[in-house]
Amino acid sequence: MGEIRTLIVDDSSVMRKIVERSLRQAGLDPLVVYEAGSGVEGLEVLKSKEVHLILSDINMPSMDGLEFLRQLRAQNLAPGVPVVMITTESSEEHVKQAILAGAQGYIRKPFTAEQVKERVLPLLNAA
Amino acid sequence: MTLSLRKSVDLVSDPKNLDASVEEVFQMMLGVNSQRFEGPMEIEEESVTAVVGFGGLLSGACVFKSGSSAAMKIAAYMTGMEFTEVDDTVKDGIGEICNMLAGAWKGKVPDLSANCGLSVPAVITGRDYNLHVQAPEFKLCHLYQFDNASFEVTIICDGLQ
Repeated sequence: MGEIRTLIVDDSSVMRKIVERSLRQAGLDPLVVYEAGSGVEGLEVLKSKEVHLILSDINMPSMDGLEFLRQLRAQNLAPGVPVVMITTESSEEHVKQAILAGAQGYIRKPFTAEQVKERVLPLLNAA
Repeated sequence: MTLSLRKSVDLVSDPKNLDASVEEVFQMMLGVNSQRFEGPMEIEEESVTAVVGFGGLLSGACVFKSGSSAAMKIAAYMTGMEFTEVDDTVKDGIGEICNMLAGAWKGKVPDLSANCGLSVPAVITGRDYNLHVQAPEFKLCHLYQFDNASFEVTIICDGLQ
């Protein structure tokens, strides 16, 4: 794979930076990052950009990560692109909800670059 | 059968859970070790407070409070940037730290993790203010330090089902 185009959806600009840094530390190179501050913005980005990977927070104002994921599937945006949820909510029920909504992976905050690598690389290799 | 946390109040209010959560968040997200200390916390004119609410089987809040210099130091570790004032990025970073502390803390008790939601963080900055909660079920308030900076984390539970 050439450049790895990734969409990071999080209402926190600091978290978006941390996720990007973790992806680079995980060896994703060359990496092109598109950022969105909400689910709505994320859907807009995907209407004009093709990506290989989507990482999204769940707990966001206006449109949360699960609704973003449902809309993504309903609008057939980024078909076949793996989506990994990154969130502080880590109970089995939350993971189940994310998987049912169409997520392929789940990373609990706080996280290390190594954990990001373990969750993301197999999905990119399989895609 | 209705799930209740009343019988596990000792587990929910175990102070070790809060210490472990702070250690985990600071180690993983900032790459620094934090230690609990008895205080007093360094008093600065301006302080930064982030609040994340709990709702569900437990209602209450996780409150993070520090002086502005500690807040800027935390944001610097998180972003790799330098800060000379408490700007929106610093507030954003402190809100996220509080969010992760709240999530890590409730994650220590499985029933709490599954049945207690978190609000999005609210961040308050200013001088001479106090946060008061009337007659909480329990309250944990610990001071921590890292890299010559200190901060306070409080868990307030005002309702437990």
